[in-house]
Amino acid sequence: MRTAILLLAAVSSLSGATCFLTVAGLGGEAEYEQRFAGWAQEMDRTLRASAGVARMETLHGPSATRARLASALEELARQCTSSDALAVTLIGHGTFDGVDYKFNLHGPDVTAAELARWLDRVPAARQLVVNTTSASGGSLQVLSRENRIVVTATKSGTEKNATIFARYWAEALRDPSADTDKNEAISALEAFRYAQQKTAQFYKSQKRLATEHALLEDTDGGAGSQTPSPEDGRGRLAAAFTLVRFGAAQAAAADPAKQKLFMKKEDLEQQIDRLKYQKAALPEAEYRKQLTALLLELAKTQAAMDP
Amino acid sequence: MKALSGLTERKPAVLLPLSRGSIRARQRGQTPLGHVNLRALLVCAWLGLCASLSPAQTLDKCRDLQGTGQARQADACYQQLLSSADPYVRAEAAWALEQYQAANESFRSACERAPKNALCRARWGRFYLDRRQWQDAGKLFAEALEIQPDHPEALLGLALVSARGYERKAVELAGKAIASDPKLVDARVLLSRLALEDGNESKAAEEARKALEVDSKALDAMAMLAAIDWLNDDHNTPWAERILKINPMYGEAFATAGHFLVLNRRYEEGVRFYRRAIELNPRLHKARVELGINLMRLGLDDEAREHLELSYSNGERYAEVVNPLRLLDSYRNFETFTGPATVLRLHRREADFLRPYFESELTRAIRTFEKKYGMRLERPVRLEVYPDHEDFAVRALGMPGLGALGVAFGNVVAMDSPSGRKPGSFHWASTLWHELSHVFVLTATGHRVPRWFTEGMAVYEETEVSPDWGDRITPDVIEAVREKKLLPVAQLDRGFVRPEYPAQVVVSYFQAGQLCGYIAEKWGYRKLLDMMHAFGKRKSTPEVIVQELALAPEELDKAFFAWLDGKLSKTVQGFGDWKNGIRKIAASAKAGQHSEVIEQGRQIRDLYPDYVEDGSVYEFLAESYLALGDKARAREQLAAYARIGGRHPEVIKRLAGLLEEAGQKAEAARALEKLNYVYPQDEDLQRRLGTLWLEQGNAEGAVRAFHSVLALKPLDRAAAHFNLASAYRAARKNEQALEQVILALEAAPGYRPAQRLLLELSQ
Repeated sequence: MRTAILLLAAVSSLSGATCFLTVAGLGGEAEYEQRFAGWAQEMDRTLRASAGVARMETLHGPSATRARLASALEELARQCTSSDALAVTLIGHGTFDGVDYKFNLHGPDVTAAELARWLDRVPAARQLVVNTTSASGGSLQVLSRENRIVVTATKSGTEKNATIFARYWAEALRDPSADTDKNEAISALEAFRYAQQKTAQFYKSQKRLATEHALLEDTDGGAGSQTPSPEDGRGRLAAAFTLVRFGAAQAAAADPAKQKLFMKKEDLEQQIDRLKYQKAALPEAEYRKQLTALLLELAKTQAAMDP
Repeated sequence: MKALSGLTERKPAVLLPLSRGSIRARQRGQTPLGHVNLRALLVCAWLGLCASLSPAQTLDKCRDLQGTGQARQADACYQQLLSSADPYVRAEAAWALEQYQAANESFRSACERAPKNALCRARWGRFYLDRRQWQDAGKLFAEALEIQPDHPEALLGLALVSARGYERKAVELAGKAIASDPKLVDARVLLSRLALEDGNESKAAEEARKALEVDSKALDAMAMLAAIDWLNDDHNTPWAERILKINPMYGEAFATAGHFLVLNRRYEEGVRFYRRAIELNPRLHKARVELGINLMRLGLDDEAREHLELSYSNGERYAEVVNPLRLLDSYRNFETFTGPATVLRLHRREADFLRPYFESELTRAIRTFEKKYGMRLERPVRLEVYPDHEDFAVRALGMPGLGALGVAFGNVVAMDSPSGRKPGSFHWASTLWHELSHVFVLTATGHRVPRWFTEGMAVYEETEVSPDWGDRITPDVIEAVREKKLLPVAQLDRGFVRPEYPAQVVVSYFQAGQLCGYIAEKWGYRKLLDMMHAFGKRKSTPEVIVQELALAPEELDKAFFAWLDGKLSKTVQGFGDWKNGIRKIAASAKAGQHSEVIEQGRQIRDLYPDYVEDGSVYEFLAESYLALGDKARAREQLAAYARIGGRHPEVIKRLAGLLEEAGQKAEAARALEKLNYVYPQDEDLQRRLGTLWLEQGNAEGAVRAFHSVLALKPLDRAAAHFNLASAYRAARKNEQALEQVILALEAAPGYRPAQRLLLELSQ
């Protein structure tokens, strides 16, 4: 399963690039203003240094207005193609009155419904919206649609305290340890799990009651999950949505001289995946023997592919 | 017990056993409602107990039967009063028969019928005290005092509420009760009890004797005199015989002694007395509860559960019973590891991680103390580590809300887990050594040692392990020294048991630790051991000081205070300037005026060098030096912070980062390793430490650190297994290395560094 997802990511990444828009909204207080802008700028720096970024825009401070957000998405609607991916990240405060979610900006706020309409105009077939604000869970249903991954920092609109999820989302993009499958790329699912775990650890270590519980939704109309897993049908899109790449894996896949080795590598990876699914049914020693043999063969194949 | 700086610890809640038998000579024959019930009279006549008694007089008769150990007759007597028309009489009878719901309803009815009757409210309050509903009891006593401001029973009730929290005003309130009614025996007994809790035996005996002057058969007063004798190992006390002659079922006397033995940390003896108490009277449920709690303290969980469950089923359903029972249930989530000299109980979710740290530190501490104290423990030390602080508090006291970090009950130690506290706020290893010192001192003295000495030794031993361990001087301590609030050594125990101001417990810990340090410095460490053994021979503090130091206690006080003044005078005198200075520094730092921060910081830092809490001068200086690009000086400030005892993980990690940048990798690793004693459950810490140790060629250190990363269940399991494989490879343990690298690749088959290591290991 993992291999299949990796291949999907490889194919999609070859066929298009990603357009990024990051918005740090109104802080209200100097401390929050600084904190939100800092996280947005950190993400901006990381993403600009990564391969495969088609367009990158970051709004913070006084420029983070409803009008600027609307025009930025309008511009993306003109520039992005259907083969591109779109990733929008919202950082700051949000409110939910039981009906409407609003993202707090300098000047008038923007509702989740307005944002959804603007996003629908962007032709990028694969979309990711990461709403890290307080009460962001209130936006999940409105933003969800087919082929759009929605991440919210809170599980509902009633978790109203300021959040820290964005801090760890930004950190996930630059921390190689977020790349848990070691494919030299960080997917939306890996970033979600990283930020979610770090957020939970933050509250635990500070002996504070956790006031935010992040959700991921990518099944078109689902309720969102705190534990998405592609194996049970949740998080498949997110696993295939690459945010940051930092290796030469994609280049190797595209090199015709190494196609044979690449195919062998794919085959071995699929055999390993199949073996892992049979683990419970095999005697431990037998499983270990077969796994070691396959891993050794894969390592040799990879060594042959490496420059 | 190791207290948390700034918080006052609370002691076990133990009240006077409710003395239903001595309710009152002076109000005999009266009820708050003051009328006679015909049916009760008939019953009384039928019982043949009285010819023409009022219900209230019958109530007295029932109490007399109860007070002389005629339990069945007393029950029959009370049973008949349940149908009295007087709700107060019904309430008292139902209470005596343990029909608590009925008693409460009857008290309510009685007090509603007599809204201006203070006694009714006072007795209802006593009923609530018996049911451990302290707040409701306090309200009823206050209502009684609104009706009659000098009502002796109500004043006594409030004194009992205060006594539960070891508040000083308990003495004052009991005194007022006696002033209002000089014949109030229970108030005298309370004064006796409070005095003995303070370690003042002569005052305790004096008050008990005064009570006996009022009522020569006052069993509670005799129990106090017996308890004093038993505390002094006089097992032939005449009071026991006298008590049992009057009431052969009077187990309360043994429960009273049990309370004082436990208070003096003589847990096993306390348990023996509680056992005797319930042997004499199986219906002494409060004593059974205390027996259960103290059996838990000794690690005898199964028997503790039996007694607590029996108490619960007999109507004792308050927090002191329910909390320990819940905790006992939760032990299924704990794992126990037994070694030759240790038994370690850890919560399942952190057992894999903590076990190596706690086992090695526990063993190291035992070996060190065996050598220092020249003795071997006959029984294994049992250490219990609680990730939930409230579980620890329940373990220690039966109730949540304890400000302490660790507690020793003989050879059983319970303490917070590092995960139970905010990172940087708790040095678990220091606490462990502190409690282990208690285990040795208590064992060496047969638990006959004053509080100040065992705490002083424990505090002293912490900093003997490493100067940056233990607690730093807090602002509370500086204020106490400046205002000359330190107690004379002969009264120092009072500072622990019944503090006169909120910070006095913490100040007393500091004073006791410093005093032991002073003695060690002036007379040598051996002298502390001599004193310890002298205490074990039942010598008092003044006697030990005279015998071992050849000084009068007052002379020791004088010399010690002079020594302490010399040591702290700069901080005490400069504290005001330091406080003003730190405010200016904070303002300058906020404004980004780094040169000013540096100038002001240099001026005040050493006025109060021990201040390493949040917002320390060291941190301000380091920040400003870094802002100005002077990493070397920033490093110096943070190194000084760590040396003094600063232990905030982020600050220490920052220091390690600067040391690494400067190429001082061994120093960086040593700085990070200190955090293992503070907050080891930090994945980033363990990963950095493992990497540094690997670079330094310390393969074993790297294996331990990377093992810790894995035990923390990291998101990036592939990297964690790979790092551990690399460490095993460096340690030339190729089999383990291969196992780990396979696990890394199982999680991430395409992980290049792991693939390379696999190829290398397979050659």
